[in-house]
Amino acid sequence: MNLLKKVAILFVSFSLVAVGTVSAKDFKPKKPIELIIMAGQGGGADEIARLVQGIAEKNDFTSKPLIPINKPGGSGGEALTYVKGKSGDQHTIMITLNSFFTTPQNQTELGIDIIEDYTPLARLLTDTFMVWIKKDGAKTSGINTLDEFLARAKQGDLVMGGTGKMSEDELLLGMMRGMFGFDAKYVPYSGGGAVAKGLIGGESDFTLNNPSEQMGFYQSGDSKALVMMTPKRNPAFPEVPSSYELGYPDLEYYMMRAFVAPADIGAEAQKYYTGVLHDVYMNNEFQKFNIDDGKLLSWIEGYGLSDFFAVEYDKHSEIVAAFN
Amino acid sequence: MKLTTRNAEIIVAIILALCSIALMVKSAQNRIDWTVEDNMGAGFMPFWLSVGMLICTIITIFKWFTKRSPQSTDEKPFIDPEANKYVYVTVLSLVGLILGTAYVGIYISLIFFLFFYLKYFSEKSNLFITIFSLATPVITFCFFEWLLKITLPQGISEPLFYPIYDLMY
Amino acid sequence: METFLLLMNGIGTALVPLNLGLLIFGCLIGLFVGAMPGLGSVNGVAILIPITFIVPPTAAIIFLAAVYYGAMYGGAISSIMLGIPGASTAVATVFDGRPLAQKGDAITGLTAAAVGSFVGGTVSVILFTLFAPPLAKVALAFNAPETFALMVMAFATFVGLGGDDIPKTCFSILIGLVLSTIGLDLISGQPRLIFFGIPGFLHGVNFLVLAIGIYGIGEMLWTLESTKGAVQISSIKFTFKDIIQGFRNLKDTVMAMTIGSFLGFFVGILPAAGATPAALMSYGITKQLSKNSKDFGTGVPAGVVAPECANNSASTGSMLPMLTLGIPGSPTTAILLGGMILWGLTPGPLLFTQQPEFVWGLIGSLYIANFFTLILNVALIPAFIMVLRIPFAILAPVIFVLCVTGGYAPTQSIHDVWLMLLFGVVGYVLRKLDYPVAPAVLSIVLGPLAEKAMRQSLIISDGSFNIFFDFSIKPIAATIMYIALVFLFLPLISVMKNKLFPKKT
Repeated sequence: MNLLKKVAILFVSFSLVAVGTVSAKDFKPKKPIELIIMAGQGGGADEIARLVQGIAEKNDFTSKPLIPINKPGGSGGEALTYVKGKSGDQHTIMITLNSFFTTPQNQTELGIDIIEDYTPLARLLTDTFMVWIKKDGAKTSGINTLDEFLARAKQGDLVMGGTGKMSEDELLLGMMRGMFGFDAKYVPYSGGGAVAKGLIGGESDFTLNNPSEQMGFYQSGDSKALVMMTPKRNPAFPEVPSSYELGYPDLEYYMMRAFVAPADIGAEAQKYYTGVLHDVYMNNEFQKFNIDDGKLLSWIEGYGLSDFFAVEYDKHSEIVAAFN
Repeated sequence: MKLTTRNAEIIVAIILALCSIALMVKSAQNRIDWTVEDNMGAGFMPFWLSVGMLICTIITIFKWFTKRSPQSTDEKPFIDPEANKYVYVTVLSLVGLILGTAYVGIYISLIFFLFFYLKYFSEKSNLFITIFSLATPVITFCFFEWLLKITLPQGISEPLFYPIYDLMY
Repeated sequence: METFLLLMNGIGTALVPLNLGLLIFGCLIGLFVGAMPGLGSVNGVAILIPITFIVPPTAAIIFLAAVYYGAMYGGAISSIMLGIPGASTAVATVFDGRPLAQKGDAITGLTAAAVGSFVGGTVSVILFTLFAPPLAKVALAFNAPETFALMVMAFATFVGLGGDDIPKTCFSILIGLVLSTIGLDLISGQPRLIFFGIPGFLHGVNFLVLAIGIYGIGEMLWTLESTKGAVQISSIKFTFKDIIQGFRNLKDTVMAMTIGSFLGFFVGILPAAGATPAALMSYGITKQLSKNSKDFGTGVPAGVVAPECANNSASTGSMLPMLTLGIPGSPTTAILLGGMILWGLTPGPLLFTQQPEFVWGLIGSLYIANFFTLILNVALIPAFIMVLRIPFAILAPVIFVLCVTGGYAPTQSIHDVWLMLLFGVVGYVLRKLDYPVAPAVLSIVLGPLAEKAMRQSLIISDGSFNIFFDFSIKPIAATIMYIALVFLFLPLISVMKNKLFPKKT
């Protein structure tokens, strides 16, 4: 058992060294950083997480690598619980999307408090939503504007494809129902790509996809966008009108791409990760990719981000309440 | 009561029947009905599938009473008495390995698991066993952490690896 | 003719030294990652994505496609040699590959896997070259009702897979289906069957956890008990002649190759299906149509060729919806798709015309990768055989280590490792009592696809089952459904016939 003793001594001595360094002033990661993705592989959040990882790796922004781990279970409920349980862990960050607001409200049994349980790092991007129909769709042929679409939708027999019950696009449908007084049959698919394909395959009549999810079909002319739910037009879709121009300023909704860390990681670690994300954000490649993809660059950090979380959380609780 | 195959058959069938009932109860926490307006409830599929499981186990129990299945007439011991230590020791050492992985970290636990297992079951020399028990975690580490960049659980042994990570990156 | 010129250009692109080097390197990495239980092409491709930022997109996709490709074969190696499926796509390979190795004929198993993969890969890449754009339209026409019909067909082909005890076989199918419903229900947005509120159940029961538990741990316990720890794998000698013999043993597998290649490709191009159901269906159908279907499961080469042919064919096929529709047909293509977007490409109907060099470079590289993996795999057979020479007392703990790491790696949660051990022990007990385990594994793969497709269809049809059976509503779905019903009732009819008119003995 000589060996065991040696291992034990080695172990204790290393632990002492480690305890000694934790209190040091400038934070530097000591091991690979877990980048938790609260959605599945191939989705929008996953795409951004891997872009951030790739750019950080290529430019050596972090001294230890970022390791993306997908935890899509329970609309992100699993990821939220996991990161909440990692309180004080300085080697975990998580990319969040709007399910950060909706999942704690839909699954109250998880006991998540998004302000208390996480350290806000930064919001990098916001993604918008658009109303999409198929060119020459069975029930929507000849429709070219939002108003024509709304008139048709009031007949109540349209099918909308979406990314899952109580997900952003269904909430958005709920919002539109309240605003315009039409209803549609909602069919959930697994992921934005499948939603887009369902529209082109003729299974659904309209969708509320993110710009990038329909980009391929939009460029080939298979799908048509009727409105972009933002105040201004988007340079990636110059001919699609904004909801403000069409006179529906209430029709505004965003999908955020923000990063958080577990609670109690300390100001130094928070500063470090915010700095890394800012380096990525300022990178040319990152900026160009997102502009081409129709996303909005929208950096906020620290208290600004906490306020944003609080406002969005309340806004979503209204939407969810109106929905039920 | 001796654990013969005949006894095992009925015990397992009863346990499975109870599990099926538990699954039905658990599924019923979601809606198990199916209406045209609200579509199929989330619990519909698991509930009725569990009902199917229960029916299958009831048939198995019935076959046991009427001695219609080969297992229900087999009075040989369920686990070969000469070999049962292999099964029990393996399962227990695996429980130990996983417990160790969760709390002490996988690499340290692997050393102890391999050392114990080889010592118990193989007739190799102590030197061989020691080298083998130490080399396997090292190879595992290189493969997962270095090549694949997947961190395996390190539990409380985590600080031990900081210097290695510093060397690696 | 134009296609031919484009293809030649593509092959030329693939043969550029940088691309060829990456291709060979990718095949090797893929082979290695695929052979590790629990790790598959998904892991290989995901890890290597950042590396691909430093090379041009064409080289990057060639590299990643080679990893994908190599992993498809690698999965077969651990299925045959260790009896643990290396990846979900290689589960069906265990059914006959493992018995072959136990009989001392691992060489035939490995050659069958290599040749099957080669044939499947080649046939599908030829189909891809000739028919890619029109096939994209087929993929578009394949929606929820069609997917459900296809899943019914997959189940139907597996009716014959169970044991003799019908209630126990049904139990196995049903428990697999129930396990597959654990986690968040996509349609209602509610979590289901979250036992004791443990968050680990939110991501459901990963199919690999069940497969590694049953085939890794359960199988090992069974082997340890039945041999009292002193496993004697018939000493394997290895000569060049054995490989030749291995090739000769494949002469009866032409039907398996045909079914595997075409079925695999067809299932592969359908969005959302992927290589795992393709391999399982190919095995099931080959078994049902085979003259000696009784021998399947005891180690027949056709039982290895059918799934291996299909999974390689399907993995090529699943590139089609990825490139032309921007929809991932499998988890790996989901990552590849993310990669393409990051490289600045827009997958969609225009990709073939806008980026011919990229698309045809990829297609050309698949021809080369196919050829290269075949050579690599046959050349490596002696090295794989060495594994079987390791004494069992040493091999057993190594297999357990592979099971634990393999159970952890896909979701990186220790919860899954515990589940794996539980499934292993339960699987061992149930197997001893003659409950067949393969149907449960099949159900957990197909269950979620089937349930989702069925419920989506029923929402669209307002609850009417006509959507599956009426030719005037969904002709493709109805056709597949009726074929499935024929498959379902064939074995029942033959059983009835035997009961009513017993053969004279």
